[in-house]
Amino acid sequence: MLWKLSLTGIKSRFKDYLVLFSGLTFASAIFYMFMTLATNPAFLKGSLSIAFKITQIVFGFGIALLSIITFVYIVYANSFLLSMRQKDYGMYMMLGARTSKIGRLIFTETLVVGLLATLLGTVLGVGLTQGVSSVLISQLGLQIHKFVGFYLPALLWTIAFFAILFFLVAFWNRHKLVKSNVINLLHEDQKPVKLHRNKLWKFIEAILGIALLAVGYWAMMHAAKLGKKTIPIAFFTIVFGSYFTFDSFFTAIIDLLRKNLAYKYKKLHSFTLGQLKFRLSDYTRILSTVSLLFALALGAITVGLNFNNMTEQAMQSTYYDVVLYGHNKKVDNQLKKVSVKSTTTFDYKMVVEGKGKEKSRVLYIPENQIKNNQIMYQHYSRKNDMNHYDTRCIKVSDFKNKTDFNEAQYQLVSLTPYIDAQAKVVPETQYNQVKAKVNKIELLRVNDFRSNFNNIEKLQNLSATQMMSSPEVDKDAVNVNLSNSKSAQYRLVSSMTSGFEFMGFFLGLAFLAMLASTLMFKVLSGANSDKPRYQMLWKVGTRKSLLKASIAKEIGILFALPAALGVVDVLFGLQLFKSILGMNTYDKLWIPFTIFGVLYVLYYLLTVVLYQHIVLQKED
Amino acid sequence: MSEVVQVQNITKTYGKKGEKQYQALKGVSFDVERGEFVGIMGASGSGKTTLLNILSTLDQPTTGNVYINGRDITGLNKNQMADFRGQEIGFIFQDFNLLENLTNRENIALPLSLQNVKSSQINPKVDKIVKRLGIDHILNKYPAEISGGQKQRVAAARALVHEPAILYGDEPTGALDSKSATELLETMKGLNENDRVSILMVTHDPYSASYASRILFIKDGKIGKEIKKDGKSREEFYQEIIAELGRR
Ligand SMILES: Nc1ncnc2c1ncn2[C@@H]1O[C@H](COP(=O)(O)OP(=O)(O)OP(=O)(O)O)[C@@H](O)[C@H]1O
Ligand SMILES: [Mg+2]
Repeated sequence: MLWKLSLTGIKSRFKDYLVLFSGLTFASAIFYMFMTLATNPAFLKGSLSIAFKITQIVFGFGIALLSIITFVYIVYANSFLLSMRQKDYGMYMMLGARTSKIGRLIFTETLVVGLLATLLGTVLGVGLTQGVSSVLISQLGLQIHKFVGFYLPALLWTIAFFAILFFLVAFWNRHKLVKSNVINLLHEDQKPVKLHRNKLWKFIEAILGIALLAVGYWAMMHAAKLGKKTIPIAFFTIVFGSYFTFDSFFTAIIDLLRKNLAYKYKKLHSFTLGQLKFRLSDYTRILSTVSLLFALALGAITVGLNFNNMTEQAMQSTYYDVVLYGHNKKVDNQLKKVSVKSTTTFDYKMVVEGKGKEKSRVLYIPENQIKNNQIMYQHYSRKNDMNHYDTRCIKVSDFKNKTDFNEAQYQLVSLTPYIDAQAKVVPETQYNQVKAKVNKIELLRVNDFRSNFNNIEKLQNLSATQMMSSPEVDKDAVNVNLSNSKSAQYRLVSSMTSGFEFMGFFLGLAFLAMLASTLMFKVLSGANSDKPRYQMLWKVGTRKSLLKASIAKEIGILFALPAALGVVDVLFGLQLFKSILGMNTYDKLWIPFTIFGVLYVLYYLLTVVLYQHIVLQKED
Repeated sequence: MSEVVQVQNITKTYGKKGEKQYQALKGVSFDVERGEFVGIMGASGSGKTTLLNILSTLDQPTTGNVYINGRDITGLNKNQMADFRGQEIGFIFQDFNLLENLTNRENIALPLSLQNVKSSQINPKVDKIVKRLGIDHILNKYPAEISGGQKQRVAAARALVHEPAILYGDEPTGALDSKSATELLETMKGLNENDRVSILMVTHDPYSASYASRILFIKDGKIGKEIKKDGKSREEFYQEIIAELGRR
């Protein structure tokens, strides 16, 4: 009989259950996805042969973080479940249902909901992993090859992790229902809240909170000076600073606003402020957690995307995308697959001078070609502690002075297959007198280097093979090991960075999804007890639109406060990366911030809609 | 004397067409004069709450019209209804319905802020009504910190602060002990007699009803009988109500 009642209870709140269920499903799907990416050797080895060890550590760290946030998330999702159910169960108990029976009911319900969601989530996770990884790989131009979404160890880990979690949560729920008395269950929402607190302590706390945050930010600004101490200092001060700030500083602002009668006595302001005041004292822990996780997630995405910039930067070191040493059929066929933006050419003749130990190779290049063809190279320097490249043109005069090292000479030679040779730029007449075969170098700039990388790399390789296999080539002198080509550099750097980039991006988004829905469930858990308040406001003549606006504002502030603090955390936190990695992470800040903002706002809107749905009753 | 409330032949049928329908009100008509204190009594399920909901625009009648202060409230749209409730109607509910997260002063001020009354005028208005109701010393406390009787006075203050055309009460003494109930009823009587506040109160309780000047008995969705105090003492009126209830 009770089972039937319990099922009817679920049916009547089907929509809310659907939200809860899909939230849990999503959590396990994300967890599975990350486990697969982090533990599947096919993924790691394929992409990160060089940085394998480091990446494993970083991924391990990622798993730990994800486990923690998943745990927090489940706890809040569960409190939403309890908030929906305790009135029903309290009622059954009042009607004489045995406590042990009720305990079994809630235990089973929690476990069934949780495990079903986990199973569905892992199935979903397999598909998602496949989809997301291929999208990310192609979108970000990552160097990761075939990747299968199904990986058994990850599947088992995910199921085990969630099963244990839900067992714990189910025990907790049973404990909570069995131990608390019926009156409390029935009137949980009317429990008086602590109202007055020591004003002096609050004041000290507010100051302390802001001061601790300031110290933490200062530490991150001066990471270079503080060295290893930076991270522990920043961690400690920012964690406690955030907590104190939420616990007192924001409530102090609300109290100030409440003193301003002109503001307070306007429309529903007094109500919204009252809601916020009580909410904030109840939300201190979750808001400070959310702000920290928000910073971590946003930081992860920003830094992750910056590895992308690092690849970009590495590509700046070379001016030409492809160097063609000669042609054959294969080269010509491959060339058709590449969209060429511009072609620059020059001719050279290679002559061996001297004998034995004195033997050296000289490349003769006609002066007028250097003068007219505008051959460019990238000049490297450090500017404000950043790598900097500017584009320069090779000039005839570069070959007139006889210094030991001449950058232009070096750059010109490195465009030929004979890296060790000496270049001589000579007038037309002299050039014509040199008795050697004329070779032509073609320097290509292409469109879409990154998206068409595979074809470009192939073209470069084919050209090198062609050079090596041509009959007249001087085999022991040729040095086209390609380490100088742009393709080679790109492959080297991107194979290191893409794993980090992928993980930063992925972890960031997963974190965001989890923290936003944690906040969502926390807000929604309060919806049931808020229902009578909105009912009453409506009865005394508040327009629906005004109620909706008040809800949107209240939830908006609850979402905005941790986000704002999180953004500030990130802005200062990036200083760390600037000094550690020498990356200018502030460069394209708007990209990660926009991605993040859009997703966060979507979660906010979803919360508002669900909340309004629970709280406001339909008017016919 | 003019009428504050005119009820003309209203019916209310619950349930959509084609589904199971139930007619809770079967043609109800009556008036409330300005400054009158009217009680509505009836057995459980007779339609009292349904009637009060319609009179306060919380619900609409299936047929019939209701005029309050001469204005037909059955033709209003939703926003107009909300505004109308906010301006012309004051409510006292059985379970107080105060907002626990606002101080008592803020609770009382709420109807005024909803009507965009200037903030500088709000506190004086609140102070005036709370003095009248004798609750000026608990204004800065929260509802959770005061007694049931005090809560109901705060609720009364909130219902009256914007000087509505009529004060509705649905079992306002239902959750109070007899002493607090009597105090509230005396206060309501005083407001009615001295400040000429029009009151319409639904109640089960003959004692509460005896404070009214006229009582309508509702039975199976219709007004059955009406009795008036007409200068009788409250005790005599109480006996008459008991007798009337016994007759059914
Ligand atoms: N929303 C509704 N849908 C269907 N029937 C309803 C609805 N509300 C009330 N009723 C029915 O209308 C009748 C009158 O209900 P109402 O609540 O007005 O009674 P009441 O006189 O206030 O009773 P009580 O003294 O117990 O509060 C009852 O039979 C009730 O079952
Ligand atoms: Mg009723």
